[in-house]
Amino acid sequence: MNKTATLRQILVVTDGCSNVGISPVAAAALAREQNITVNVIGVIDRDEMSEQGEREIREMAKAGGGLSDIVYPAQLSQTVQMLTRKAMTRTIQHVVHQELKEILGDSSVVDLPPEKRVQVAGMVDELGERSHLDVVMLIDTSSSMKSKLKAVQQAIHDFSISLRSRSGTSRMAVCSFPGKQKHLDVRIPWTEQVDKALQLGSNLTMSGVTPTGPAIVEAITLFEHVELPAHLADHYRSPVQRNQDDEGLLQDHVF
Amino acid sequence: MSSNRLPLPVPVTFSGKWNQKQYTILKELGSGANGTVYFAVCNGRKVAVKIGTDPFDLLMEANMLKSVQAHRQERIGPELIDVDDLMYAGRSYSYYAMEYVKGERLDEYVERVGADWIPVLMVQVLNRLAVLHRQGWVFGDVKPDNILVWNKQVHLIDFGGVSQIGRAVRQFTEDYDRASWQAGDRRAERSYDLFAVAVMMICLFLGRQDWDRIRCQVRHLPTLCDIIRDNKGLSLYSEPIIKALYGKYVTAEEMKRELLETLRSRVQATPARKDGGTLDFWIGSLFVASLLLLASSLYYLWM
Repeated sequence: MNKTATLRQILVVTDGCSNVGISPVAAAALAREQNITVNVIGVIDRDEMSEQGEREIREMAKAGGGLSDIVYPAQLSQTVQMLTRKAMTRTIQHVVHQELKEILGDSSVVDLPPEKRVQVAGMVDELGERSHLDVVMLIDTSSSMKSKLKAVQQAIHDFSISLRSRSGTSRMAVCSFPGKQKHLDVRIPWTEQVDKALQLGSNLTMSGVTPTGPAIVEAITLFEHVELPAHLADHYRSPVQRNQDDEGLLQDHVF
Repeated sequence: MSSNRLPLPVPVTFSGKWNQKQYTILKELGSGANGTVYFAVCNGRKVAVKIGTDPFDLLMEANMLKSVQAHRQERIGPELIDVDDLMYAGRSYSYYAMEYVKGERLDEYVERVGADWIPVLMVQVLNRLAVLHRQGWVFGDVKPDNILVWNKQVHLIDFGGVSQIGRAVRQFTEDYDRASWQAGDRRAERSYDLFAVAVMMICLFLGRQDWDRIRCQVRHLPTLCDIIRDNKGLSLYSEPIIKALYGKYVTAEEMKRELLETLRSRVQATPARKDGGTLDFWIGSLFVASLLLLASSLYYLWM
């Protein structure tokens, strides 16, 4: 197995419930249908998250074929890294299991003796490390997130270091929602390195709107393998193209 | 996913699905990122059993432990005894059993025996790491929680972070992580481990409470350098520590050598001072005693 796979993920960072547009669970299912995994991290302050918010986060990740966790701002950096890595191995594991099923017939990998499974794990790990990874970070910047944005910025920077440390190539893009005109604003187009100068707070829309579902739908359009209606393609793809001309590196990207 | 703990208490006795070895759980030893470790008995032998919440990560860890053991003369880490599945509450959990390593956590040990031991223990840690590095691995998650001391010897225990040199570090703890301190990336290089050793040394010299206070400060190298300068014990070892923080050492042996040199020069410097100290004390007390004698004899004369 010498193929290098491309893995696509959307990572949603939010602190509560979506309250407008398409259900985020449905949007996550839509992403999964296009081979994009959706991971969700809920960030809480001192206050606990509502049961409804917790359920939405869990269900979004489940529908998106990804993982979820609810953490305090201080744990955010580590959680982003862990969740992404685990979701990657899960995706590859799934593919490997499918292939093995074809060889092994009805029995699955779980029916293999542990020593063999250890070998399969080694192979999955190897594939994961070398695969190409595209991640869109989708940041909730509704007013309640204000106190957590510093930790989010830190996590974005930290995540870019983790991505650079991989053997395989990786790209990330950062979007925030709600956007000024659309449901989402692309804050950092596809890049291999995120500069620390990113300021998420300066564009805070103080509305109470949290369009998590619509934002996920729009984030899907950032992945080039998805075919888009013309107007959406113009809206999202062109800045990406331009950016790739200067080697995808953004410096002093202050909004 | 939100918890690394097992959803249910494990049964007191169980047998593996594949190898049929029987285990009796005696107590919980602790929880790592990939599962919970229990102290157990298997065929009359004391073992540590790690039961995983994430079967993949647990098997990878067993894989690492196995790879590290391929070199029999230079074995680092506990011996891997068994890898199997355990069925309970209708679900299958993977686990592995390893040699039980007795000991006290590094930071607790240092708190008990004193800071003098820190450089000695660090030399031992560097020796273990050097072996691991020679075999092509980086430990990754170097921290006091993952090191036990028994019989004045250190043992590395949690192998969940072990990563092939050149890859990304599999598991880390922010306090000891080079990238979190803005001092580099998370690529598995020898210098990644050495950075963690340096931070660990700072942490041990300061003690838990002072270290917890520092954790809230800005994470960058100048913070650490200030701490080293202001701490008497640390400042003696500032050279090797700072060199490791700035990634100046290519190998663990190099850092060990310089640490040893500093240790030696310190030891040679100490006895003279200490003798002087006790001598001063005696001269001082003799002086006081003679004054008292003088005073009392004067008193008697006066009477």
